[in-house]
Amino acid sequence: MIRLAGLRVLYGSFAAVDGLDLQIHSGELFGLLGPNGAGKSTTIRVLIGQRRPSAGTVTIAGYDVVRDWAEIKPRFGYVPDRENHFEEFTGRKNLEFFGQLYGVPRRRAQDVLELVELEEAADLPVRGYSLGMRKKLLLARALLHEPPILYLDEPTANLDIHSAEVVHRILRERVKCGATIIMTTHDMDEVEKICDRVGIVCRGKLVALDSPLALKQEHTERKVDAIRMDGERLVFDLDREPERRQLASLIESGAAASVRTREFDFHATFLKLTGQTFD
Amino acid sequence: MRLYILKALVHKEFARHLANRGGIALALLLVAAAVLLSVFAPEEAAAGTGMVGGVHHCFVDFDRASPLVKHLRENVPRELKEQIQFREIGNADALNGLIEYPVGTGAIKLRQVLEAGKPATIHVYIWHPKDDPTALAPYEAWFWRESRRAMHSAAEKKLGPGKLGPEPTFDPGTDWTILEAHDDFTRRVQAAAGTEAFPIPKLEINRKGLGGKVLDFRAAIATGMVVFALYFACVYLLPTLNCEERERGVLLAQALSPASPLEILAAKFLFYPLLGMGLAAALAGIYRPAVLSSLFFWLSLAAVAGGFLGIGMTVATLAKTQRAAFLGAMCYLLSVSMVLLICSTNGIPFIPYLALEYHGPRILHAALSDGVQSSHWLHLIGAIGLATAWLFSAAWLFRRRGWQ
Repeated sequence: MIRLAGLRVLYGSFAAVDGLDLQIHSGELFGLLGPNGAGKSTTIRVLIGQRRPSAGTVTIAGYDVVRDWAEIKPRFGYVPDRENHFEEFTGRKNLEFFGQLYGVPRRRAQDVLELVELEEAADLPVRGYSLGMRKKLLLARALLHEPPILYLDEPTANLDIHSAEVVHRILRERVKCGATIIMTTHDMDEVEKICDRVGIVCRGKLVALDSPLALKQEHTERKVDAIRMDGERLVFDLDREPERRQLASLIESGAAASVRTREFDFHATFLKLTGQTFD
Repeated sequence: MRLYILKALVHKEFARHLANRGGIALALLLVAAAVLLSVFAPEEAAAGTGMVGGVHHCFVDFDRASPLVKHLRENVPRELKEQIQFREIGNADALNGLIEYPVGTGAIKLRQVLEAGKPATIHVYIWHPKDDPTALAPYEAWFWRESRRAMHSAAEKKLGPGKLGPEPTFDPGTDWTILEAHDDFTRRVQAAAGTEAFPIPKLEINRKGLGGKVLDFRAAIATGMVVFALYFACVYLLPTLNCEERERGVLLAQALSPASPLEILAAKFLFYPLLGMGLAAALAGIYRPAVLSSLFFWLSLAAVAGGFLGIGMTVATLAKTQRAAFLGAMCYLLSVSMVLLICSTNGIPFIPYLALEYHGPRILHAALSDGVQSSHWLHLIGAIGLATAWLFSAAWLFRRRGWQ
């Protein structure tokens, strides 16, 4: 569905994206992850036609993102990381305006308002909305024309637990209907929960590509944290024979105040893959 | 260009102004000012003479080029250079044989009666604004002073230097003192010439009031409001709201919708000039309803609105933020005003012709005061040329820099 081949984007001499190869399948919820400045937003910017690739090609459903932009434009919805509404209009008026541009029936605005649970605030000016409400309104706008592709830049940032759940449900439903979704997020629990596959980029390059579970299993480190009676903190790597023996003797001697196996989550996998490991 | 998208975009601009109301409040204030202007003292059109310095241009019309005219041409003081215009009577705009003088102008007309090829009598006609015979005083002071200098130097050339003695103090305040001084000069020349014949032409002065107004002060205020309405809509509102949309990211949201950049641009091109022209026409119509049936008025309005639209789009393309757009619009206005002022006070030619703000107020004032002359059509052509240049510049910049 979406194919990035050797994508390279330069800002002057700095390569924000450096030879990115990626293929995202139809009906997939894909998480594009990476630390700040890794090149995620630049990649999204290329996908929404706001930045021309310096090298490489990007095709969406067979259409080139530069050459066939007019074909691609109506096929996607976009949720930016920074909200961009007409502050003086109500939520409904905002949606009705964009609905008119997409040529969808007026009723559709009410449908998406209900979908994101904003119907009660629909007739209030957006300037009175909370950050979470604004974020949900962005998602409602992106869903107006039921696009087959959704680009979401941190769609659940500033959302409360319930609203984040609502967004997750909507995204899963869209995927079930065959939509392709690319989202960026810094919430690794969210990634584990809803993403089918993730691509981790670091310094403009793809460093890992698989499902969250597969990546977690592949990069798991079996370690045990221990605290001695005198307060000293120790870490034992269970993959190393000498450290296993040291741990055993510590426990046998009764000098250990606390012993805890490290529950390895996707958060740690991400940090490890991006070279930001911590002990 | 899809009509439903264009309709939605234009409606959005309209709805934004309805929701913000600041622009509407200012428009209503302008309308209220226009109503007050038309309701109070509508007949006192020339009331502003004193305030604006009376006649802004003086024609020196002559029937034939003579040494006197040559001397006058060569001795126009620097401060009056832009205000005094020499022309042969045959070249003046005339209607049924009568010379037409535009509003805010007067004339000193010279007719020389010849005898044996030499001027025997010089008829000086002072065409001053009706009800204000002193309006030409600064021009008259110059004219009489230089005429006497011309005659004095011609006589000295013939009789030799120093024979006439110094010129007595001369007060050109009344016709009587002018004629008295001329008679005194004639007597002194004849005394110095002795038996040698040296005829000095007789002088006759006629003063006539021109029909019409000195400078229609109320029309000038109405012109100011009309120009401001166009400036406000196209050079202030358009860039600031456009940059606000860009800053907030809503311009990007629209650009990512099915609306093409051309449609987004067309909606703005439709809305703001039409808003400005609608408001300007309302103000002009309140001041003088008849102006709405004048082709010249509508052409002037369209030319100025088109030019301001080009300027506004240029500012909108160059400025990245709403604040920068606001400052850009203000800086533009101040810079142009400054350049026009410097050129006008220092008699710098040609440069003002490059400013839309030089031609625009002139043609709109002419339309509003019902005083359109052939020169105003030239100003209109100038305004259309400048408007076209600004629109091209805006389109070129937009193509290069785009929305972001």
